[in-house]
Amino acid sequence: MTRRSINQSACLLVAVLALGLPLVMRSATYLHILILLYFYAYLTTSWNLVGGFAGVLPLGHAAFVGIGAYTSTILYLQYGVSPWLGMLVGGILATLVGILIGLPTFKMRGAYFALATIAFAEGIRVMIENIDRLGPFVINGPRGLQIPPLKLGLSNFMFAVKEPYYYIILIMLAAVLLLTYCISRSKLGYYLNAGGEEPEAAMALGVNVARAKLIAMAMSSFLTALAGTFYAQFTLYIHPKSVVSLDLSFEIAFIALIGGRGSIAGPVLGALLLRPVSDFSRIYFGDTVPGLHLIIFGVVLILVMLYQPRGLQEPLTRLYNRLVDRLAGTEGGEASA
Amino acid sequence: MNILEIRGLHKDFGGLRALNDLSLTIEPGQIFGLIGPNGAGKSTAFNCIAGVYAPSGGEIYFNGVRINGERPWNLCKRGLARTFQIVKPFATKSVLYNVMVGAFARTNSRSEAERKALEVLEYLHFEKHRNSRAGNLTIADRKRLEIARALATEPQLLLLDEVMAGLRPSEVDEMVGVIQQLRGRGITIFVIEHIMRAIMALSDHVVVLHFGQKIAEGAPHQVASDERVIKAYLGDEYVISAG
Repeated sequence: MTRRSINQSACLLVAVLALGLPLVMRSATYLHILILLYFYAYLTTSWNLVGGFAGVLPLGHAAFVGIGAYTSTILYLQYGVSPWLGMLVGGILATLVGILIGLPTFKMRGAYFALATIAFAEGIRVMIENIDRLGPFVINGPRGLQIPPLKLGLSNFMFAVKEPYYYIILIMLAAVLLLTYCISRSKLGYYLNAGGEEPEAAMALGVNVARAKLIAMAMSSFLTALAGTFYAQFTLYIHPKSVVSLDLSFEIAFIALIGGRGSIAGPVLGALLLRPVSDFSRIYFGDTVPGLHLIIFGVVLILVMLYQPRGLQEPLTRLYNRLVDRLAGTEGGEASA
Repeated sequence: MNILEIRGLHKDFGGLRALNDLSLTIEPGQIFGLIGPNGAGKSTAFNCIAGVYAPSGGEIYFNGVRINGERPWNLCKRGLARTFQIVKPFATKSVLYNVMVGAFARTNSRSEAERKALEVLEYLHFEKHRNSRAGNLTIADRKRLEIARALATEPQLLLLDEVMAGLRPSEVDEMVGVIQQLRGRGITIFVIEHIMRAIMALSDHVVVLHFGQKIAEGAPHQVASDERVIKAYLGDEYVISAG
């Protein structure tokens, strides 16, 4: 059995598992937790295009989630536009905003870039919290927007059960992972990595670093905004604290840093590890120690940065490769399961 | 036509004039040396040519086209490549990955870039390191990687900034061989070097900088016996005993 076929069967196994899980797991709570897990894995993978490959640390991605969520929701509530279409409009809007932020800030290094993105996202949050109407659009300030679940169905992106949401976010996650994989093997991926690591050397080798980063930022903000619409349709209620908060931006970065930024598997591993911690600490300690999950995140982040600065994907990838080597090497056809 | 022509190049940093009225011409196929004591302005000159700094005055022509203030990545596309005095490998990536970044300057296809990069690595007898992490290489190999990456961009003119500094004598000889081989490939080479043995063996023509100014120019042996050059390197009293 070759390495390639082992890898393929591992992928197949994961796919079957992910597709079949809702059939076995009937608990709506667990399904909800899984959906949010995929949601965060998706967000972090989108973030990773800039925060991982381009080597900068954006800490304001919640702004794009908010733009996506608010755009599609306003369009649906006020004009009856299908959230699917609104999703696209939100994505395009977020792309423009992303480029607008990227143009002046990509010249900044390290912490300054991170601070600039925080400031920008917080600015948007404060604006939304304090504006009731923006021109013809009703924003409702801190009260947020509620989507009445009247017209259920695929065309309105609204369902009475959780399974459709599960499959939608699963497809979105698979698509963004595939995109990341393709980019990492393309010229753009090489240029982003090179520009992130040694910008001067990259420029001398023909890389227009700023341009590569802008392209990554545009894609990342577009994809992030799509998740915003998903979240709005999933919870049917959005408010500034839920979709534009700093907590959300930070949680994305936490997941990426702990899982391993710049790798394809990192964001998914990070979400797999951290989301259950966050959900279960909220279920069991939510009323006694609220915010416990953030403390746990902090401790885990410190430990990971100390002992595995490139994230948990590195030792896990090594482990996986060793496992595959053993299967491919010593045991021939036996490993077909 | 001259491949590189510099006329009256100036570069000021605040009140400090790092380069003062530098003029030189490089013909295709030459190995052209630039020497001078520390702080003479050699790297500043390279950075002006390679588009890192915009010159404060003067003209730079590459293949007859004025390239003042052109951005580094565009210069690379035009056929001007450089290495860095302080090596800058993409440390977490493999040697092959590093060289492929350079190769992408001429192609959009990954397989084409990989083929090109492997060809360059083979040419430099470096292919056995293709999967090593660039950050784990010895200093000699890192210098070689700098050259490999630059070479993968298919330059006509290659600026080498002290590629032999920090190498052992045997490694210097090897590097001299590599550079001569590059010339054989039709690449014009403009080299900054401190190791006199190497620059004397390599260059057809040498320019000496001192405090940002050209103080001598000519064939290596001519320059080496020039009084002003000895003075610049060793100080006044040695000129008297030499005379």
